[in-house]
Amino acid sequence: MNTESGKNNFCGRTRREFLWQAGAGFTGLGLAGMLDRGFFDNQAVAADGKTAWKNPLAAKKPHFKEKAKSVIFLFMYGGPSQVDTFEYKPKLYELDGQTIPIKTFGRGGKKNTGRVVGPKWKGKKYGQCGKWVSDLFPNLGTCVDDMAFIHSMYAESPIHGSALLMMNSGRLLSGFPCLGSWTTYGLGSINENLPGHVVMLDPSGGPISGAKNWSSGFMPASYQGTILRSEGAPILDLKRPDGISDSMQRRMLDTLGKYNQQHELKRTGNSELAARIASYELAYKMQTTAPEATDINQETDSTREMYGIGNKLTDNFGRRCLVARRLVERGVRFIQLYAGGNHNDHNWDAHGDLMKNHTFHAGRTDKPIAGLIKDLKRRGLLDSTLIVWGGEFGRQPTAEYAKGTGRDHNSYGFTMWMAGGGIKGGTTVGETDELGNHAVVDRFHVKHLHATILHQMGLDPNRLSYFYSGLDQKLVGVEEVEPIHQIIA
Amino acid sequence: MELCRMNWVVLAAVVCTGVVQAEVKHTPEQIKFFETQVKPVLEASCFKCHGAEKKIKGNLRMTSRKGILKGGDLGPAVELKNPKASLVLVAINYTDDDMQMPPKTKLSQDKIDILTKWVEMGLPFTGDVDGPGKVAPGNGKPAAHEITPEAKAFWSHKPIKRSPLPSVKDKAWAKSAIDRFILAKLEAAGLKPSSRAGKVALIRRAYYDLIGLPPKPADVEAFLADKSPTAFEKIVDELLDSPHYGEKWGRHWLDLVHYAESNSFERDNPKPDVWRYRDYVIRAFNENKPYDDFLREQLAGDELENPTPDSIIATGYYRLGLWDDESADPPKARFDEIDDWVTVTGQVMLGMTMNCARCHHHKIDPVSMTDYYGLVAIFRDVNSFQAGHDGMSKRFNKGNYHRKLSDFIPQDKLKSSKVNVVIDENKLKRLNDELAKMEAEISKKLPGGVVDDFKYESNRVTVVRKHAKLLPKGMPKRYQKTFDERNALRRQKELKDIRVLAASSTPNPPDTHILLRGSPRAKGKKVEPGFPQIFSPPKPLIKKKQRSTGRRLAFANWLTSKSNPRTARVMANRIWQHHMGRGIVRSANDFGLVGEKPTHPELLDWLASEFMAKGWSMKAMHRLIMLSNTWQMSSAGNETALAKDPANNLFWRYNLRRQTAEEIRDSVLALVGTLNLKMYGPSIYPEIEREILASQSRPGANWRTSRGADAARRSVYIHVKRSLIVPIIERFDAADTDATCPVRFNTIQPSQALTTINGKFMNDASKVFAARLIKEAGDRSADQVKLALRLTTAREPSDEEVDWGVKLIDDLMKEDGADSTRALQYFCVMALNLNEFMYVD
Repeated sequence: MNTESGKNNFCGRTRREFLWQAGAGFTGLGLAGMLDRGFFDNQAVAADGKTAWKNPLAAKKPHFKEKAKSVIFLFMYGGPSQVDTFEYKPKLYELDGQTIPIKTFGRGGKKNTGRVVGPKWKGKKYGQCGKWVSDLFPNLGTCVDDMAFIHSMYAESPIHGSALLMMNSGRLLSGFPCLGSWTTYGLGSINENLPGHVVMLDPSGGPISGAKNWSSGFMPASYQGTILRSEGAPILDLKRPDGISDSMQRRMLDTLGKYNQQHELKRTGNSELAARIASYELAYKMQTTAPEATDINQETDSTREMYGIGNKLTDNFGRRCLVARRLVERGVRFIQLYAGGNHNDHNWDAHGDLMKNHTFHAGRTDKPIAGLIKDLKRRGLLDSTLIVWGGEFGRQPTAEYAKGTGRDHNSYGFTMWMAGGGIKGGTTVGETDELGNHAVVDRFHVKHLHATILHQMGLDPNRLSYFYSGLDQKLVGVEEVEPIHQIIA
Repeated sequence: MELCRMNWVVLAAVVCTGVVQAEVKHTPEQIKFFETQVKPVLEASCFKCHGAEKKIKGNLRMTSRKGILKGGDLGPAVELKNPKASLVLVAINYTDDDMQMPPKTKLSQDKIDILTKWVEMGLPFTGDVDGPGKVAPGNGKPAAHEITPEAKAFWSHKPIKRSPLPSVKDKAWAKSAIDRFILAKLEAAGLKPSSRAGKVALIRRAYYDLIGLPPKPADVEAFLADKSPTAFEKIVDELLDSPHYGEKWGRHWLDLVHYAESNSFERDNPKPDVWRYRDYVIRAFNENKPYDDFLREQLAGDELENPTPDSIIATGYYRLGLWDDESADPPKARFDEIDDWVTVTGQVMLGMTMNCARCHHHKIDPVSMTDYYGLVAIFRDVNSFQAGHDGMSKRFNKGNYHRKLSDFIPQDKLKSSKVNVVIDENKLKRLNDELAKMEAEISKKLPGGVVDDFKYESNRVTVVRKHAKLLPKGMPKRYQKTFDERNALRRQKELKDIRVLAASSTPNPPDTHILLRGSPRAKGKKVEPGFPQIFSPPKPLIKKKQRSTGRRLAFANWLTSKSNPRTARVMANRIWQHHMGRGIVRSANDFGLVGEKPTHPELLDWLASEFMAKGWSMKAMHRLIMLSNTWQMSSAGNETALAKDPANNLFWRYNLRRQTAEEIRDSVLALVGTLNLKMYGPSIYPEIEREILASQSRPGANWRTSRGADAARRSVYIHVKRSLIVPIIERFDAADTDATCPVRFNTIQPSQALTTINGKFMNDASKVFAARLIKEAGDRSADQVKLALRLTTAREPSDEEVDWGVKLIDDLMKEDGADSTRALQYFCVMALNLNEFMYVD
């Protein structure tokens, strides 16, 4: 990713992207790293007619030596409460029930006073680092020496729709590529037979705005997230129609190949025809490789148990975490798991009964996530796998309604944590005020989180750009953004 | 916060008038206070970004008293006359969400107190450092946005110039002006144009280019039989007269204006009656509406002297964007909305990335922030999507953007209109069904005599009200609501009652200011409505209207004036692009300095001038291009040309192309024989797989699956829901719904192959296709294969090709044990996956 400067090279490396978009009369860019790396080498030239053209989606070299090869983003959709999970606010327990002046902004608009809801869980210190973790996460507590907490996150919207877009794509508006698209754009994919960017949804439904959250926006569709299911056929249309055997399909594809090759012979110099022929073979192979990748029956009972598979509460998320590990082993670049879906209490959005909500959502994820961290670690994969945990925002220290424990959204301050992938375990940075409301110390915007993730993947967040609409677009925006150095090992 | 914002305006005003306070003497105690208490805080927390060494953020230098008083982009950091209102105190107290310094960590209270005291004592300061001039790094050259003779001389800023036709050697080949321009360059490069495409290729190409559908076998036969020299011309004219032409070319325009039928964000709710805009576009192309009128109607159809239903509906142009019904930052959302209009108008109509000048002057093109905000001022009278003018959305506001046609046009002028009075028949049926169901239930609960009264529609609401107590809870209210909704819809059968999603406006919008860094809370100088200065435009001739400012009409008139150097060029290039596979300027939305240079500048100018000379007639341009030898070249390659010009920069051959997403779906439906060619009206909802619906937060929400013939209408009529695109359309690179799409991507992915070999749409279609083959070709597989190949490729298959298909069917039966129907169906899947079918060449 050269960043040649000067007017003539304004777009630098991204100029080529721009030319594809400008319909340069050649294509095939969609193979998303699924073709042989050498596939296009001698096939075509770039639109300037001189430069040899290479498949831009083949695995690419990072800007600098990467720490992480894969990302698993555990998206706690709905927004977990920071003071009830990982950020200890002793004073808040004392204030329980008192109405105090406090500036909040959530679904219910802006308010200047509120009734404090004391944190509903006690907690204790864990590990060598002595990190406080609430009793919601007894299993994750045992992993704190591998985790780095950021207690001073802030975002720009306390409303799900726009906040989800911001956490996923850095903007409040839809139409921008999401984090997973940026990483596959920057690095390509190292696996031919699986999508490089995968999303696994909750059984209760997708998050608000659905596909906008894993959209490639103004980039080609090759970079968008592929929905992968942990049960049944993992990818849409992967299963052959009823009554079609492997042998029938092979026969059909072979015949199709004959017709297509004859067609291509008469049309020399059109590499996309060859690319399309090859895409059928890849599709055929994926029918075997994708189910194999998601087949957790190949795992031992003890491994499955680590993830809480078999236990009704943890089974679903456990399966997805285990599939995530299997995908990491197979070189998938970016995997996003939604913990919670649909609306309200189907996710962390605890407007009514905080205790019921968080007990459920922490309960179904605590063991699977701890299992994931430990499993990756014992296999030597944690060092190269970056785990990111958090929601689109946090929750307020005060109650949303006159009665009850429900908390409204809070984008002024919230907690996220990361583990593995070159992150310094056992660290904590930043804090919110003593009520757990506003981030006040070492504040980090969502874009700092994004910068950190790209940085760990070996990409310079201030150089990774895509030319679009007259601008070198970047995930982190126009101004230079530093990664969060305090948590980087 | 309100207070802060007001002060910023005041502060900015101070800067504008250039008032800078004079030096004052401070006491030694004050100086000591500065040196011992204040300076350490500044050094630790402010100088990193606002010091003399590094790049100065926001143009604010705090290492000298002068620098602080002069201030940065947002005006003076300290206001000596009113210290409490000083920007620096607003920032360090974190009282404004947009202005919090230091950004990472709020200062402790004692440090805030120190700085507050310092400001209040009049800013004592020692050791001023003004630093090297890093604030505005100047290299002696004018900045990119400045208008210089060089910038003026850039090709697309110069007037359109009609060059004489170049001379060529092969005069026989160069029968048209286009051919002369193309051939001259080829000859200069020592290349020859490809031979003429065969008749089958030509007719297929013409069908896809103009109507996006395959020719029928009978059409092909008739064309092959017609040996007259005008045979092809006749085909072109027939297709230009086809009502399906507008469906194909309207879709190109819909890509540009990012047409979508929902709002995005949490609810992604439907935009009511937005389809009337889609119909307007299709109709405009079919009627060959002159392009200048087409632009004027969309930009200012409400401001024309005699607005028509069409011109009002055309202003739906302003209603196609994203809209957050619970925006976290309403003032910003309002400027995002206007930014979308500036972006789309700039890129689509002017080929100009105006949007780059929202937060700073354009870094490459001569476009200043004044240019950008001048356009903002042009559009400022259009009310925000949701409600009254600049009225910030009430949360969950459904808005009153949805108006009756008679709100815009007096009833007596509404009589002559071509607007179809189409109402949503499906919705009407649904409401009628709901009512019938409720009525059946209600009848059972009513006392004997009343049941008879209830038989008459006019009595029903009264009866329900009167006997509410006998009915289930909520029923009376629900009944009345449904009843009213049904009647309102039924009434729309008259033109005056048609509801439209059009731009409502105000004659008195607020002033427009430059927004520093694009922030609505950092107002700079006031800007008047204006056009981009690089074109040396005339002063806008603005005549205020009763309900709008008249600015948009003034803009539209300038835009469509023949002296505008961009408008005709940009559109001529797009027409060329969709016939020849790429624009003469490949970056069709950017004719600026970052954009691609035209490969044939003289040809582009010739086309642009011809476009205007022919009264901005689209159809005239299609004819011109399609009847040229250039367009009629074959796509075949040859070694010399491939070696010299592999990217076909010189157009030595026709660029073959994959069908678009819509063409693939429509063609499959057409071939198998189920395509429903019904035009216009409310959108349809093809079936979406359960797995895809599961990605919605409310699986299935707002997707009323269409059934039967309705589901088989052309793809341009598919409901465009931003967060839920029909998979076969999405897979094959449909235009993004959130930004203008000048050129579609053309990806090749295994997921596409999975969709077309395993997906439900193709497999369902194959069953129908097989039935058609049996019906029309009889029982012999050779005849079935032959017909299938004729339908998919438009040509006669060779014996060998027929044999391959027959062998496949035989083997599927003999080797795999499939029955004859299944085997034929699976052969059909293959036939619909042929590259020869998927590609137009």
